[in-house]
Amino acid sequence: MSNFIITLFLLIGAFFMVVAAIGMVRLPDLYTRIHAATKATSFGLMFLLLAGSIYFDSWTTVVKSILLMIFIYLTAPLAASSIAKTTKNLDNEEDLD
Amino acid sequence: MTTPALLVVMKITIGLLMVAFVLVLIRLAKGPHLYDRVVAFDLITSLVAGIALVYGMLNDVPFFMDVAVIIFLISFLGTVAISKYLSKNEPHE
Repeated sequence: MSNFIITLFLLIGAFFMVVAAIGMVRLPDLYTRIHAATKATSFGLMFLLLAGSIYFDSWTTVVKSILLMIFIYLTAPLAASSIAKTTKNLDNEEDLD
Repeated sequence: MTTPALLVVMKITIGLLMVAFVLVLIRLAKGPHLYDRVVAFDLITSLVAGIALVYGMLNDVPFFMDVAVIIFLISFLGTVAISKYLSKNEPHE
């Protein structure tokens, strides 16, 4: 039963990572690329971490996995917002010139 | 507990992550601006963290979860540092 859950989570995680990569190649704009890279990657990495914490089945791994999940969901939007704000400022300057 | 089918699934997962890695490398090579490359590199570090995690599962080494934690930490610091460095000429900040 746990093997089935690990298989399902691994494949879901890899699927969302591939979706993020396809979005990076196919989407036309920088803002849409930031959207694809941030959301799909945090979701896919969360599923890979869930699979890892079920597979290793020890307390230290579970605690590390929960910490990394919290860290991902705290910092990935921050990094994306920082890049988007910098790009917006640069676009405004180019419009003024 | 580990069956051969599960090992095959882990190898397939690493293969899918490698395919995603190559696709992001295409964007990193031909991104029109510097910001596209920064976003692509952010995604590459997340992919490397995932590959390290699944590789640790494949070889039954829980230590690789620490590797994923460190890679993700450094990725966040690097992305924020680069974007702050690029926007340092702003008069309002």
